Amino acid sequence: MTQGSSIRPPRVAVWLVELFTPYEQTESILGDLLEEFADLTSKSEAPSARRWYWRQSVRTILHLVGSGFRVAPWSVVGAIISGFLLLGLASGLPERVTLAVLDFHRQPHVTPYLTWPQVQARLFWLTYGTLTALLLMSMLTGCIVAVLAKGREMAAAGTLSLLVGVLGAVEFLLWSAMNEYTFLPLPLVNALGVPIMIAIGGVLVRTIRLAATRRATQR
Amino acid sequence: MSRRDYLGEFEHIVILALLRFGDHAYGVTVRQEIEMRIGRDVSIGAIYATLGRLEAKGYVNSCLGDPTPERGGKSKRFFHVTARGMQALNRSHRALQSMTEGLRLAMRYSR
Repeated sequence: MTQGSSIRPPRVAVWLVELFTPYEQTESILGDLLEEFADLTSKSEAPSARRWYWRQSVRTILHLVGSGFRVAPWSVVGAIISGFLLLGLASGLPERVTLAVLDFHRQPHVTPYLTWPQVQARLFWLTYGTLTALLLMSMLTGCIVAVLAKGREMAAAGTLSLLVGVLGAVEFLLWSAMNEYTFLPLPLVNALGVPIMIAIGGVLVRTIRLAATRRATQR
Repeated sequence: MSRRDYLGEFEHIVILALLRFGDHAYGVTVRQEIEMRIGRDVSIGAIYATLGRLEAKGYVNSCLGDPTPERGGKSKRFFHVTARGMQALNRSHRALQSMTEGLRLAMRYSR
């Protein structure tokens, strides 16, 4: 085995290309990239070959996302709009679910008033429970969007994540400016966490479908 | 004749690259041929997006080759230009030729 063939391409780049390519092209695109990468590593230094791989991967992903919008505009845009609507309609749901869980064990007819430690505990669980429920709901939305955009899971979930992220960042900056705060961990987690969880939802669906497709082709 | 019957500039280039390699045309050869001949550094994603579009129009068809170890056990996808693709290529070529006829483009833009 030559020195060139023992050097592997960047794993994260390979994974990202795998996530964004249509099923029927995944194997050939990854194979083509690997073939050119092996050729480059035998001629030049490994860091420059890795840089080439990264550049090719990013450009390939951007092209494939763009082509996803051109090839199946209605399913991709429809999935993104559905995701937006779902997030908007269910925005109050995490708080209601958390309150319902908190009230589940409470017996107001036995202890009608809360003590100060109980109030503090309730506030803590209300804050972090709502945040957790919101993050889980965002992941579920990412899953639903990915399921709707069959074959273009990451184009739809990634775009929705990006749009929600930009809107969340703008909202966070405006809110911080108006409230004269420079850094607030909780709203920041909220603004960053929601788009990340949407993307994770998309990744989950894509990974499951990719594994199912591989199993089907191996048979 | 609809606008869709004509090839776009990059589609035109990709079909010509496929014809140069005959039965051995796949992503890497097409990408390298375009880079070598016209100096355009295109991504493998751009090649596959265009080939996918051409395949959907019926201008190109593809088949998977055998997996090879130098490609990490991954198969090559070979592309062939169909008779419909050849017709579209000729049509676009003729359209370009008739539009450029008598223009002396080289003289006009070399100043």
